[in-house]
Formats: sequence, C-alpha cells, structure tokens
Amino acid sequence: MRQILGYTALLLRAYTRDRTAMFFGFLFPLLFMALFGVLNFGGSVRVDLAVVDEAKNEQSAAFISTLGKIETLRITTTGDRDAEVAKLTSGDRDLVLVIPSDFRIAPARPGSSVPALTLYESSAQPDTAAVGRAILSSVVTDMSFAATQTAPVVTLRREEVTGRELKYVDFLTPGIIGMTIMQLGISSVAFAFVAERQRGVIRRVMATPIPRRNYIAAHVLQRLILAMVQVLILLAVAVFAFKVTVVGSLGALLLVTVLGAVVFLCLGFAVTGLLATENQAAVATQIVTLPQLFLSGVFFSRDAVPAFLKPIADYLPLTFLNDALREIATTGATLVDVGGDILGLFAWAVVSFVAAYRLFRLD
Amino acid sequence: MPPVVSVRELRKSYGQIKAVDGVSFDVQEGEIFALLGPNGAGKTTTVEILEGLRQADSGTALVAGVDVRKDPSGVKERIGVQLQQSAFPENFVAREIVDLFALFYRRRVDSMALLRSVGLEDKAKQKQEKLSGGQRQRLSIAVALVNEPRVLFLDEPTTGLDPQARRNLWELVRAIRARGTTVLLTTHYLDEAEALCDRVAIMDGGRIIALDSPASLIQALLGRGFSKPIVQQQANLDDVFLDLTGRALREA
Repeated sequence: MRQILGYTALLLRAYTRDRTAMFFGFLFPLLFMALFGVLNFGGSVRVDLAVVDEAKNEQSAAFISTLGKIETLRITTTGDRDAEVAKLTSGDRDLVLVIPSDFRIAPARPGSSVPALTLYESSAQPDTAAVGRAILSSVVTDMSFAATQTAPVVTLRREEVTGRELKYVDFLTPGIIGMTIMQLGISSVAFAFVAERQRGVIRRVMATPIPRRNYIAAHVLQRLILAMVQVLILLAVAVFAFKVTVVGSLGALLLVTVLGAVVFLCLGFAVTGLLATENQAAVATQIVTLPQLFLSGVFFSRDAVPAFLKPIADYLPLTFLNDALREIATTGATLVDVGGDILGLFAWAVVSFVAAYRLFRLD
Repeated sequence: MPPVVSVRELRKSYGQIKAVDGVSFDVQEGEIFALLGPNGAGKTTTVEILEGLRQADSGTALVAGVDVRKDPSGVKERIGVQLQQSAFPENFVAREIVDLFALFYRRRVDSMALLRSVGLEDKAKQKQEKLSGGQRQRLSIAVALVNEPRVLFLDEPTTGLDPQARRNLWELVRAIRARGTTVLLTTHYLDEAEALCDRVAIMDGGRIIALDSPASLIQALLGRGFSKPIVQQQANLDDVFLDLTGRALREA
C-alpha cells in the first residue's frame, strides 16, 4: 500500500510539471465553459404560457398574478380555451392552462371535489413543457399547502421556483464535467501507456520487483484523484465566475464522478490494450470519445439526437454520466433519483473492467 | 566461493531463429565480465534471461543464488539493471527518479548520496529528459544501485557517448566494482572490454566461441602465429583526441 500511495504521490507531482496535460485537464474545459458561457448559447429557457381564466374570481386573479411574477413564464390571458389550444397546436404557445369556473383556494368541503386545473402541453416541445409543468405544479402545491395550513403565504417558495430557471451554463456545466472525465479516462490512459510502452519505460519498471497490479493501481488512483480535483475546480469556477446554480449535493456529484471515472478508466485501459503506436492512440481515442461528445448531451440536449441514433445514444456511458450529473446539479436529484443512470454506469463499469482485464497488456 | 552468476546450456528460439543456442558460463563475485559479439549474436537475449525479463526455452541460470526460471522477481530483488532502449518516465526530476525506483524495491535510500556517487548531485532538480546522454546513463546507473545489488547488468552502457563520457563511465564502473558489486556488461567496443573487463565471453550465432581474460585471448591469438601487418603505433587517434580535448566531462 505504501508503494502504491508513494507512487501515486510521485505521479501527481510529475503531473503538475506536465504543461500539456494540465492544459487539457484544466484549462481546456474552462475555456469551453467560458466560450459557451459568454455566448450563452440557447439563452435561458422561456415558457409561453396562455392562461384561460374561466373562473374570473378574486382567487383566480391572485393565482395569475402569482404566476406573472415568475420570470421564466411569459403569460397571456387574452384568448378562450379553443383559440389558445389552436395556438398551442400551431406552436405559438408552449402551454395552455385552463382555470375551471369552480376555482377557489380553500380546503375541500366534504363531499365535493377539488377544482382541477387543466394543462395542455404540446408534444412538439417536451422540454419547455416539462419546465413549465414543473413550475406550475410547484406553485399549485405551494398554494394548496398554504390554504390547508391556513397560512396565507402563496409567495413563500416563489424564490425556489424562479431558481429553477435554467441558464445555458447551468445546463452546460455538468456536460463539461462529464466530458472532462471521459477525456481523462480514455485519452490520458491511452497516450500515457502507449508512449511509455514505446519508449521502454514500462520495460524498465518491469525489471524491478514491483507487482504489475501495484503499478496499475497507482496509475488508476492518480487519475481518480485528478478527476475529483478537476470536478471541484470546474464546479468552483462555474459557481463563482459563471454564477451557475448547483442545486444538488456536492457529495452526490463527486460520487457519480468517481463512478464515471472508473468506467472511463477501464474503457481507456481496454482500448490501450489494442494499440501499439501513438498515431493509433490518436485515432482510437477520437473514435471512442467523439460520438459520445455529440450523442451524449455534452453541449446540447439529447432531444436533438436523430431518432435512429437514439437507441445507441441512450445507452452510451457518457449519456448515463451526463444525465446523472445534470439531474443532480440542475434539479437537485438525489442518488436514488438517478438510480437508473447509476445502474447504467455500473453495468458499463463491469463490462469495461472485464474488457480491460482481457485486453490490457503492459508490454 | 560459488560463482555469483552460473549459466548452463541456456537456449532460446524465436521461431526458426536460435537467439541463444546452448550458452554456459560462470561469473565470479567481484568480477567485471563482458559479453561481446556482433549485433544479433544473442548478448541482449542472454542478459535479459538472466535479468528475469525473458523465459529461456531450456537450460538453467542461477543469479545471486536464485534460479531465474523459478523466481524471476527474487532475481529482480537482488540485481541492478540498465537496459538497452529503455527510458525513465517524463516530468520526473532526477532525484524523484531515484526515489521512484527505491519505492519499486520497497527501500528507503538517500537519493542525494546516490546521485553524488555518480556525480549528478547538482542535477537533482533537473527533469530527467533534459539531461545529456552521459548524465542519463549515470542516472540510470544510480537507479540500478538503489537496491544495493549483488550483480549489476549493463547492456551497452556507453553506446552513443562521447569519448570523455565513456571514460567517465568506466571510472564509475570500476568504483562500483571496488565496493564489491559484480558487473556483467555487453558492449560493441573492444577497447572498452580490454580496458575494463577481467574476463570476456565472445558470442556469435547464439553461442560462446571464446571465454577468457582479454590478455589471455590476445596471447592465444599470437600463439596461433597471428601478426598484424602494420606495426602498432605508439599512439592512436583516440589518444590524439583526448590529448587535444582533455578528459573533462562535457555537459550542457
């Protein structure tokens, strides 16, 4: 163990002298974030919401004014139900909310039903609809809660609702983190080991009594530590320089990071086993990483992925990693909420570990 | 005293090619012993089998009392090596390279003292890839000494070095032997073998075709009636070169 830890420490110290590696590990993802953050690609999400008020009472007016205070929502209240639904169909509206004539904010009287709001969504815009739905259901929950508790604070949780307004950098940051972990796992392993094998470094090390597993363990440990440091730095810059809102827990993010790093390190070792020269490494790492860069939702939502690629895109390791990181960072999901993604990463970890074990060779 | 390296009928083939074809020899404790021979004679293969890096097809080899075939890592514990065409990892400074290899042997060493013993104490904080060829060879010898080996294997240690650096390395090898370490080296330079070695084995085609001290080998040749067509000069170009440029090490 002392051997592994000591070697890891020396590897980390050598890493700090490697300008190229430092650039691609730290500066490059930050540049990406800065570039896209300044461009603010896609802007912030805006939801065009038409409210059809069939109650026209004091409470419905209050409800509408509450909605009006939420920045993300652009509200129109002019049309009737049929006209607005027609506009939803034609794409002029993202959502149509109908307030029924029996609308009131009060505890339900025994024997009578609770008034039901009707929300029309367009299947053409699932993303915006989802954002709008989340905001509306949160407001409704707040109001119901306020009413039944007889505490008249409808605005109590309004801050949190507006906090859900997704800026592009909020969306981008988890994607950049995922990308960085993938690059660290695959490229750093492939290039380092192919180069050291070619130059005879590994031959020299294998002329000493260090067990192979200790040698590999130190390299894995070094990269896991690097992954954590990279993620922490990226998050710190995102939060302090780009005002990114991270809703979920840091611990959950780091845990998912480690799991993702394990997956990509194993993949890296497996791929490296098939390579003999640095030129091959350059091609192979592109083949593995480039499709994931575009299909796994690093820069843009995966909704943009063509339908015929979806079955592949949905099961790529970076997809699971990005989805989990993004859910945690932007919606405050817990590890249980992203259980599906974690399961996916676990499956990839097992598969790629077996592949690495079979394929990787030191000499 | 039993020999520190004992090789019997060692064989190793690659496909049709018999790289090592029945090699036997002993090296005594404290000797400087060289394997000589043209490229492809089987020197490096022989040495790499003794270092535990390759498996022989047949034959036995005992190094520092350990059977190489049965316990290659036991051999690695007891020997120091300098390999042909090998390198150290980049972005490590010289001193860290020594520390790193000490770690591989699970030993604690005074890395500065080791660097001083090969004349590299002022390069301790220099990245190893920035060292000159001669400096890197000396670093590689310092590294080969971290585990206080009984036998030091040097595979073509002076190839590519300038005359000053070569002579400097010879001095280093003599100093290491003076401390009791056996040295087994390979070389293409016959003057090197003559100046440095107690005994040499000449290999060709995977076999040892002669084995003795340089002086005895020369005597035997003369005894067979050999004479050079040209009378030996009192000095050669090597002497001229060293006289003009001095023996001091040249290093950036």
